[in-house]
Amino acid sequence: MRKLGSKTLSILGRLLASKGSALALIFLVSITLAAIFADFLPLNPVAQKLANALKGPSATNWFGTDELGRDILARVIFGARTSLVTAGGAVAIAALVGVPIGLVAGFFGGWRDAALMRFVDVLLALPAILFAMAMIAVLGRSQAAALIAVGLTGIPSFARITRAQVLTLRKRDFVTAVEAFGGTATYNMFRTILPNSWSPIFVQVVVLCSVAILLEAALSFLGVGVPPPTPSWGEMLRTGKSYLHEAPYYAVLPGIVLTLTILSFDVLGRALADLLEGRRDAVIAPKAEEVTS
Amino acid sequence: MKTQFFRTLRRLGFLFLAATAPIAVAGTSLVAPAHAEAPALKGGTLRVAILSDMTNFDPQQFSTVNFHLIKNLYDSLIEYGPDGEALPSLATAWQIAPDNQSVTVTLRDDVTFHSGAKLTSADVAATLAKAADPERGKNVYATMSIVKDWTTPDEKTVVINFKAPTPQRQITDLLQFTMPIEAAGIATVETVPAGTGAYRLDSRAVGQGLTLKANPHYWRQGQPVAEQVDFTIFSEDASASAALESDAVDIIYGGTSRSAVRLQDAGYQVVRGPGPLVQVFRMNSTRPPFTNANFRKAFNYMMDREGMLRVGYAGLGEVVALPWAPASPAFDAAYADEFAYNLDKAKELLAASGLTPAEMSNWKMLVWGNDEPSVVLSQILQSTLAELGINIELDVRQGAEYTEAQLAGDYDATFGAVGNVQKFPSRVATNSIYRVVKNPVLKDPHPHPDYVAAIARVNTTSGPDADVKAAYDNLNRVLVTDAFAVPVNSYDTGLIVASPKLGGLALDIDNLFVARTVGFQ
Repeated sequence: MRKLGSKTLSILGRLLASKGSALALIFLVSITLAAIFADFLPLNPVAQKLANALKGPSATNWFGTDELGRDILARVIFGARTSLVTAGGAVAIAALVGVPIGLVAGFFGGWRDAALMRFVDVLLALPAILFAMAMIAVLGRSQAAALIAVGLTGIPSFARITRAQVLTLRKRDFVTAVEAFGGTATYNMFRTILPNSWSPIFVQVVVLCSVAILLEAALSFLGVGVPPPTPSWGEMLRTGKSYLHEAPYYAVLPGIVLTLTILSFDVLGRALADLLEGRRDAVIAPKAEEVTS
Repeated sequence: MKTQFFRTLRRLGFLFLAATAPIAVAGTSLVAPAHAEAPALKGGTLRVAILSDMTNFDPQQFSTVNFHLIKNLYDSLIEYGPDGEALPSLATAWQIAPDNQSVTVTLRDDVTFHSGAKLTSADVAATLAKAADPERGKNVYATMSIVKDWTTPDEKTVVINFKAPTPQRQITDLLQFTMPIEAAGIATVETVPAGTGAYRLDSRAVGQGLTLKANPHYWRQGQPVAEQVDFTIFSEDASASAALESDAVDIIYGGTSRSAVRLQDAGYQVVRGPGPLVQVFRMNSTRPPFTNANFRKAFNYMMDREGMLRVGYAGLGEVVALPWAPASPAFDAAYADEFAYNLDKAKELLAASGLTPAEMSNWKMLVWGNDEPSVVLSQILQSTLAELGINIELDVRQGAEYTEAQLAGDYDATFGAVGNVQKFPSRVATNSIYRVVKNPVLKDPHPHPDYVAAIARVNTTSGPDADVKAAYDNLNRVLVTDAFAVPVNSYDTGLIVASPKLGGLALDIDNLFVARTVGFQ
């Protein structure tokens, strides 16, 4: 058995040892830091200079300017904040709702399993983008609405992955042992089974981050994401495509950043899956005194 | 399953980005109107790209999505030249009575409908009856409000009587707006065209396009030039442009200003008509802070019209402070100078309003998300307001959600285009924000009685010329004083971008597409 802290450090070390995952990690950390500290940079994503509209990349405006003369680099950086906040929030909602559903369904089985998984099936049957658009139609157009909408579409994947993991672990000896020592169902679910299910769930967190960013960008591209003038990568692609002839950099540069972000999450997710796959047998079991206390 | 869907979604994202990679750069410049006359044109099949499907074949439903069809399937009693001069069409003569209370229209005697039946005064009477019906009259109904009744003394004569002395331009507007429908076909005109136009409907594929064939019995000599017109619907302006550039179509009708400017630089013909729309910032003066006249008037000076025109419409149009096109008799270019962008004057008016910054910021701007120029204009104004310490949010809505709010008047303020700005000035009152009764935004009783009186004065002043001009001047002054709607710029609807091999291109006074004169050089 290993402690979680040392395990995390070990995984991080192995991620950095691989060129691809190291680059992905560095890119994601950089863009996250830029998004967090954007307010301290000498950039204004909403300041307009109409006379300076659609100017190409220059020393003053590294990514050029948009149709209102706004700095595209500033909008890309502040747009990262929109994307990452939406993705982070959405993944949190999806995990906080989806994981307990999967835990309860897998642990108890029977009618609870049937009822919860049919609910999940209903969510799964709805096309994510249409479901998100319907949610936004109900909640109104805002970042919070986009966050909730994207989050709800992620619930089924967490629920199903967690349930599958619980079904695998439910009959394992260490779970039976905890029951034999008098561990309650709640204790067994959250202290015995859940700690041993983190690997696929964590991989799903990373995968869903990329999906959430793409879905948020898609919603903005369709005109139902965050309202202007708040910068968003999808909104920049949407507007930029109208200026492909005059200002190709307008759509292409935010598009490249979006692509690299999604690619980085994808590479990281795959690397994590490979690393954690080999560790599934390493069981994290509760201490005996915790069970009997 | 779900993960697989997400993977597919990601792949689609990559594909989109890959598709945007090969890109060409092009500059922009302004275009000049083209001329309609072209010598020795040859026939053939015209391939026209349009950007939306038609709704129906009723010529009284004057929606822009039907603009490519109306003047090809139907003829008006009279037409206007580009400078607003009334010209004979189905009517050979129109005699206005000395008291301006009636007009006697004489019809041509060599006109037949597509069915083969001859055009008679009974058809015109049936068309007027439809127009005067509040249920069936559609866009012509409002125009018919001046009409008392009509008679048909013989097969070729129609006498239209008015409720009061009516200005000449208002009478000719009515005649130009009247497109005779065959009496026997009126009940089914939405699905089966029943006109006298240069083309007949051949086939239609819903959502894809339609084909018109030349009317062999058309009354205008030598027209139509082209034997067939194929309309193809493109969902994207960029796709239509690509089709024109690859010679898959000959004309784009109703494309964007931005594409038109780019294509003109590439050697294509651009034809602008005399009937543009005017972009207007509409304020709901029944809701605070817009109940405050000084606050509203400040918006006259907040509009960076030059910048808005350049960014929103690639510079294709004119800056205006009044809702008129140059062809309108009430057009007055001096107002654009008087109400030029001036934040100092705006600040003075805002200070005079007595409103606090919080009160001035307590509203949202409704934005039509599908219309890129509207989004751009809204953001420019939002930025200007922020400079003045007024921080407002944009309420961006798409499609029907926006239209519903706009038509129901459920907004604080919004940008929206108005039409009928090239004809008799009181026709501006057919636009919802300018209505004098049953105004969906300002409701009844109308909160701006001076404006209602100014429209009434224009409607009832039929001469002499100095009185007519005084009525127009009064209306113009009231419009900028009441300032419940602040015009920004005119822009082209029904723009034509055509291959250089075509000649005879022209638009009618309302910018409707007229195919009968177009041929190959």
